[in-house]
Amino acid sequence: MVIKKIPKAKVLEWMAGCRTKGDFDLKEGHLLQTNKKEMVAFRQMSKVFSNGTVALDQFDLTIGEGEFLTFLGPSGCGKSTALRMTAGLAEASSGEVKVFNKDPKETIRNTNDIAFVFQEPNLLPWRKVIDNVVLPLELRGTSKKEAKAEACRVLEMVGLKDYATSYPRELSGGMKMRVSIARALAAKPKLLLMDEPFAALDEMTRQSLQLELLEIWEKEKTTILFVTHNVFEAVYLSTRIAVMSAGPGRLSSVIDVNLPYPRHAISRTDQEFSAYVKKASDQLENSLDKRGIG
Amino acid sequence: MSMSSAEAAKKEMITSSKKGTKGKYFGVKFMNYFLGPIIAFIIFAALWQTVPLLIGMPHYIFPKPTDVINAAVSDWSLLRQAVQITVLESVIGFLLSAVIGIIVSIILASSKIIERSIYPYAIILQTLPVVAVAPIVVIWFGAGFNAIVVVAFLIGFFPVISNTLMGLNSVDKEMDDLFSLYNASKWQKMWKLRIPSAMPFIMAGLKISCTLSIVGAIVGEYVAGVGGGEGGLGYAITVSAIQVNTSFIFACAIAGAVLGVSFYLLVNLVSNKILGSWHESAMKKEQ
Ligand SMILES: Nc1ncnc2c1ncn2[C@@H]1O[C@H](COP(=O)(O)OP(=O)(O)OP(=O)(O)O)[C@@H](O)[C@H]1O
Ligand SMILES: [Mg+2]
Repeated sequence: MVIKKIPKAKVLEWMAGCRTKGDFDLKEGHLLQTNKKEMVAFRQMSKVFSNGTVALDQFDLTIGEGEFLTFLGPSGCGKSTALRMTAGLAEASSGEVKVFNKDPKETIRNTNDIAFVFQEPNLLPWRKVIDNVVLPLELRGTSKKEAKAEACRVLEMVGLKDYATSYPRELSGGMKMRVSIARALAAKPKLLLMDEPFAALDEMTRQSLQLELLEIWEKEKTTILFVTHNVFEAVYLSTRIAVMSAGPGRLSSVIDVNLPYPRHAISRTDQEFSAYVKKASDQLENSLDKRGIG
Repeated sequence: MSMSSAEAAKKEMITSSKKGTKGKYFGVKFMNYFLGPIIAFIIFAALWQTVPLLIGMPHYIFPKPTDVINAAVSDWSLLRQAVQITVLESVIGFLLSAVIGIIVSIILASSKIIERSIYPYAIILQTLPVVAVAPIVVIWFGAGFNAIVVVAFLIGFFPVISNTLMGLNSVDKEMDDLFSLYNASKWQKMWKLRIPSAMPFIMAGLKISCTLSIVGAIVGEYVAGVGGGEGGLGYAITVSAIQVNTSFIFACAIAGAVLGVSFYLLVNLVSNKILGSWHESAMKKEQ
């Protein structure tokens, strides 16, 4: 690392993120990755909408390559806004967000490295499942054959190979969500942004998709920014949790989750797991209280 | 247990579709949907036939159904020719309004600046009564076939434009974001997102414009008269009015209505074919 380029705030945060104590307990390498290259950086980022709503206030956070970072916070605290800004779909009012040290829009223009999974599946109803998955590749001009092959691969990954030639309306909600995830994966993103992708699903489907997502994350080495307001989900999935408070949206604390992967081995009633859930819940409550006082 | 009952239901479905239940189903459907309208039609025709008889209305004021049929049969070749010509005029007019309407809309929608500056005029033009400009069209294009086609085109053109533009601008925000995120160019967005999203709107516009184009053709004939010596329905109606051949006017009007309905059904069929596989509006509901 080149020290002189790193601002002080970031060094402090990086130090906080260093898991000198926990790192050595882990067999899996993921939690060592904070030392790796910086992927996303929010620097004093604020967002004020034209109607005067302050969605984000001085948001400051850096995310390293290979992390699974979750934004956890109450409704309206600016989680979606932060994610959309990371994808270059909204501009910062002040401060900045950088992906690979570049403006997200520029990153997208040059490398197509960012993919987004919305809360809704957002599939094109006139395209078959496979043609929906092919879309990002098609748009960047990958050859048809290659694109189809890649689409088949990711569809198999999410367990929907048999539905390649179905239309979206023939699928259940959970299956549509999986297609949407497959489409994002087909783009081979280095950064995957997911906005409450499992919020509308039943508990069983949600758990199996969470497992699938973790498996894919470990296999593809993608960096994931995930949004949820479910504390269990946040603890179960993430390497770090960014707890946010609302009105205006602020980062209230960052929790390192030093639980080993693969996590399907962890029971959700496990003591350590519960401790993290409690910690995250407390932080969340704190942030709500703060809002009450302020 | 539930497995077996589900299997039984499946078996039932298969055997019932094999056996004659389809016939029975058709019978029920027929009773539900067609019996009422058919009875209403018979009553209507009977009243139409008897009331003028009872009050002694002469056929040149208000012809009875039998008068209309007689007129149609005796002047069959005239009627057939008139219908043929009107069909040709309105089909060409409709196709022009569809093709030009869609192309113009796409060009308008491809640039916000162009759209903002031209759309208000498109709306104002739409409210312009085409009947009022028909004489100008005749002056410009000469009395006859060309002028009639242009009137049919003009009247069908604006519903296509306003519907297509509305469709092209009704794309879901997140879908649009998705395409931006995957670095889609303006034209990729147009072809792969906006036009497919607009399809149901475009089809609705075409359905309106196809029946209007017949109105346009007939109005055009009123104003422009004969095209190359042979006239369509509008011309036949004008001539019959001079001759007070009211029964034949009725026959022409009914022929025009039948034409309109057939044209609509045809466009509807094409629309269902195109939208069939993806848009809910055209999807048969599965019970
Ligand atoms: N386009 C917009 N114009 C004006 N205000 C907006 C807009 N989008 C979001 N906001 C406001 O910004 C704040 C943050 O919204 P955001 O959608 O990011 O919240 P969120 O954390 O994702 O909430 P949820 O969990 O309910 O999805 C809210 O107060 C919202 O009202
Ligand atoms: Mg949200």
